[in-house]
Amino acid sequence: MPTQVQVFPTITIPVPYDAIYRRLGFKRGITQVDKRSGEEIESHIDYALSLISLKGAGRRVGLRELTPTAVVLETGDEFRSGNLARFLGGCEEILLMGATAGDAVMEAIRRDTEGEKMTRGVVMDAAASEMADAALDWIAGYYSHQLTRENARLTQGRFSAGYGDFLLENQMIMHDLLELDRIGVGISESCILIPEKSVTAVMGIQR
Amino acid sequence: MKRALTDEIRERIIILDGATGTEFQKKGMPAGACPELWCLDNREIVEGVHAAYRNAGADIILTATFGANRVKLEQYGAKDVAGINRDLARMARRAAGAGVLVGGDIGPTGRFVRPFGDLDFEEAVGIFKEQVRGLLEGGVDLFTIETMIDIQETRAALIAVKEITDAFTSVTMTYEPHGRTLNGTDPVAALITLQSLGADAVGCNCSTGPEEMLALIEAMKPWAKVPLVAKPNAGMPQLIDGATCFTMRAETFVSFATQFAEKGANLLGGCCGTTPDYIRLLKKEIGGARPVPPVRESISAVSSARASVILEGERSLAIVGERINPTGKKDLQAELREGKMSLLRSMAREQEKKGAKLLDVNVGMSEIDQKKTMLDAIGALAVSSDLPLVIDSSDSEVIEAALRLYPGRALINSISGEREKMERLLPAAARYGAMFILLPLAGGNIPETAEERKKIIEEVFAEAKALGFTKADIVIDSLVMAASSNLKAPMETLKTVEWGSTIFKANTLVGLSNVSFGMPERPWLNGAFLAMAVSRGLTMAIANPGVEEVMNSAIAADLLAGKDRDAARYIEHFSRRPAAVQKPAVSGDTPADPIFQAVLEGNRDDMEAILSRALEAGGEARKLVDEHMIPAITEVGVLFDRREYFLPQLIASAEAMKKGIAWLEPWLAGAAPTKKEKGRIIIATVEGDVHDIGKNIVALMLKNQGYTVTDLGKDVPAATIISEAVRLKPAVIALSALMTTTMVKMADVIDLARKQAVDCRFMVGGAVVTKGYAESIGAHYAKDGVEAVRVADELSR
Repeated sequence: MPTQVQVFPTITIPVPYDAIYRRLGFKRGITQVDKRSGEEIESHIDYALSLISLKGAGRRVGLRELTPTAVVLETGDEFRSGNLARFLGGCEEILLMGATAGDAVMEAIRRDTEGEKMTRGVVMDAAASEMADAALDWIAGYYSHQLTRENARLTQGRFSAGYGDFLLENQMIMHDLLELDRIGVGISESCILIPEKSVTAVMGIQR
Repeated sequence: MKRALTDEIRERIIILDGATGTEFQKKGMPAGACPELWCLDNREIVEGVHAAYRNAGADIILTATFGANRVKLEQYGAKDVAGINRDLARMARRAAGAGVLVGGDIGPTGRFVRPFGDLDFEEAVGIFKEQVRGLLEGGVDLFTIETMIDIQETRAALIAVKEITDAFTSVTMTYEPHGRTLNGTDPVAALITLQSLGADAVGCNCSTGPEEMLALIEAMKPWAKVPLVAKPNAGMPQLIDGATCFTMRAETFVSFATQFAEKGANLLGGCCGTTPDYIRLLKKEIGGARPVPPVRESISAVSSARASVILEGERSLAIVGERINPTGKKDLQAELREGKMSLLRSMAREQEKKGAKLLDVNVGMSEIDQKKTMLDAIGALAVSSDLPLVIDSSDSEVIEAALRLYPGRALINSISGEREKMERLLPAAARYGAMFILLPLAGGNIPETAEERKKIIEEVFAEAKALGFTKADIVIDSLVMAASSNLKAPMETLKTVEWGSTIFKANTLVGLSNVSFGMPERPWLNGAFLAMAVSRGLTMAIANPGVEEVMNSAIAADLLAGKDRDAARYIEHFSRRPAAVQKPAVSGDTPADPIFQAVLEGNRDDMEAILSRALEAGGEARKLVDEHMIPAITEVGVLFDRREYFLPQLIASAEAMKKGIAWLEPWLAGAAPTKKEKGRIIIATVEGDVHDIGKNIVALMLKNQGYTVTDLGKDVPAATIISEAVRLKPAVIALSALMTTTMVKMADVIDLARKQAVDCRFMVGGAVVTKGYAESIGAHYAKDGVEAVRVADELSR
């Protein structure tokens, strides 16, 4: 079975406006936005979109073993997480995914939030986060097509390092296996993906 | 063969085969195997599956070559692409016997093609050509490009077939349950793009069951010049007892057959989960039934990678956004020179928001490679805008290159009656199925009268017709000349519009702003001229959609010309004009003065002017801050807590206040200290963490409330924080961290402070930080900037 990393150099998705607004704390029926503020926020989102360049990577990896506390991959790598092992129960293969909103938007966010345009920076930050997250959905959709033809499918939901007992340190393994350097994503010693608006996730493959 | 099949499709529903992949799996193909190599090793099984479909009544069976392209085969170490395709085609040929046609099956490479991926377009065409040659050698009768999700890869495959053979070619894409491909292409856009490019049948396969697919066929039928294909799955895959299966029974699957026929599907088969039994029942149910043939001979429509614009019928005027043109735009010139596309993308989005239906793209300027820049621009716009493009260049080579790469059906601007243009561009437009703007110029002269223009239009159209164009494929440029140089010129243009629209019966267009060139108050002339042209049948105008008078005139003219049913568009457009600002509720009896309002509304633009007026009226700077701005920002905090405000409003208000205080600084410097001035706070994002937006928000909020904030930045070691604390003696140290790996560094800072006997309190926050964690390390917790101010107030009491 081919287990090469598939790189997606350009991911085109509909803008997840609702998710961006939700991330910024908008509550339908309660939050009130006047016309001037509304137009300003929309223009900030547009500016973010002109700078966001979504890229991604995916890789199918076979499972060697699921223990009560760890997920052992065919590559020999091991994710230490009981929650993840339970989530993947019954799967013989997993899908690893990574996505990034790119450098340019992160640089603009940094300039704005450290400078005189914090409102724009905060809105762009939310837009970039949600776009990167939606890119993972897109990658899952891509693999879902392949799997349908193999009489298989992806698990509902996905797991990301940094939540529960799936510690952020696992991001190192994700970064290596997905060869995220190929889409311009590095990782710091404290396991933070750089550029910041980059995300990874694991899904199970059910047959 | 092609003619015979086309005729047959007009007479009866053609039955295609069903799934082969899931059939092979049932017969022993292991998960993870290369299907094509497995098929070569299991000829009897493969020919048996083909024969089962033939016996079930399929009129066309497909070769088992779905993944037999270089990209996929290389993953399994297989190199002989043509040989594998040839041998698999021969198996299908043998199994088909007489009377059943064999379709050479072409699936996606799994890579995305530029501009949606990194696979070069010409390389993709080359990859598919290898497969096509092998399949032809193996004796296929036709081609089936299927299960595509990337319209550009689909175009590459279709071009590959068309550049090698004239064989009948069917193209189907795969749509998500929401009705678009994964890359966002809707079925009508795909249809318009692919039928224009030469597909002989278009449709959909895989991904959805029959019920969902009916809607796709229904959406495509009114615009289809070609037969439609439907190959649904046997429902959606379900997980049953730990195994994934397709649960729709053959009888249920087939119960949709009549509806497919009624809604206009001409070729019907099955995809994943279907078997020869499904096809047998399908044949019994619908085989031989009279189909609904394609309803159109031609269509005036253009498309992008994701959407389409239909130009005919009682459609409202289509505005072609003219802004993407470097003439007179120094910023755009500079960007294009540097190879950047950011401004161009912004212009596209802005014009789309203002109501443009198409985008004219012109990169004509010196000092750049226009062909490369045009291709880069098409790539950038294809991924950032849904609007179809008008390829605008005076260089035929640029247009030709753009048409090959453009992932939709483009409109060319333009082809004139000049011999060289016609000879080069008409065949190119025909090859790629583009529409074109017919510019009535010939012999190096600009014809002044409508009569002269008509003559040229008819001559150019006669040549275009010989290449298969219809009047629906052209847009007549009615030649707008400046009224300032010839007052009779606008009427000649209007006569051309009227003749072109009502007598010649083609689309008509004006380059609007030319009419007012050299005149004052140009938007009025443009608006009036546009309305006059609409009344004569104008279809499109190249204009700046950002000019309100133009857009308003267009919408009003459409209504008066009867193109706006029930005046819905007019009412909707004008109901969106500025209304009274919806002010947020203000709690308590806070005075609603201009300074208070400016902070409350986050009005940074007017803050300085408002404060200036207040000072001129005798206000004291200190009081303006203490009695107007601080109550306002406190009110904003209340609104934020109640979620009547969300984060951008909170920050905008804080920025308005910050701007106001900065502007008042010279007056505040000499004023007596205020009771609102509070203690010092050191703030930092801890070592290892580069996230600082939350920290910056908290710092801004604290400063606005009168704290002296020393911001040490991000990724700050504990030693640095504590040495600054020793020096500055803050009341509070505020620490931020976003990640679980860096959150622990907060404890290091507090431990070090204790070791060095630093006397201060600690406040912590950040996405993963909880109240419990804060307490466990001896700190206080604040969930956001507003709460941070409250916690700081309590800690510094």
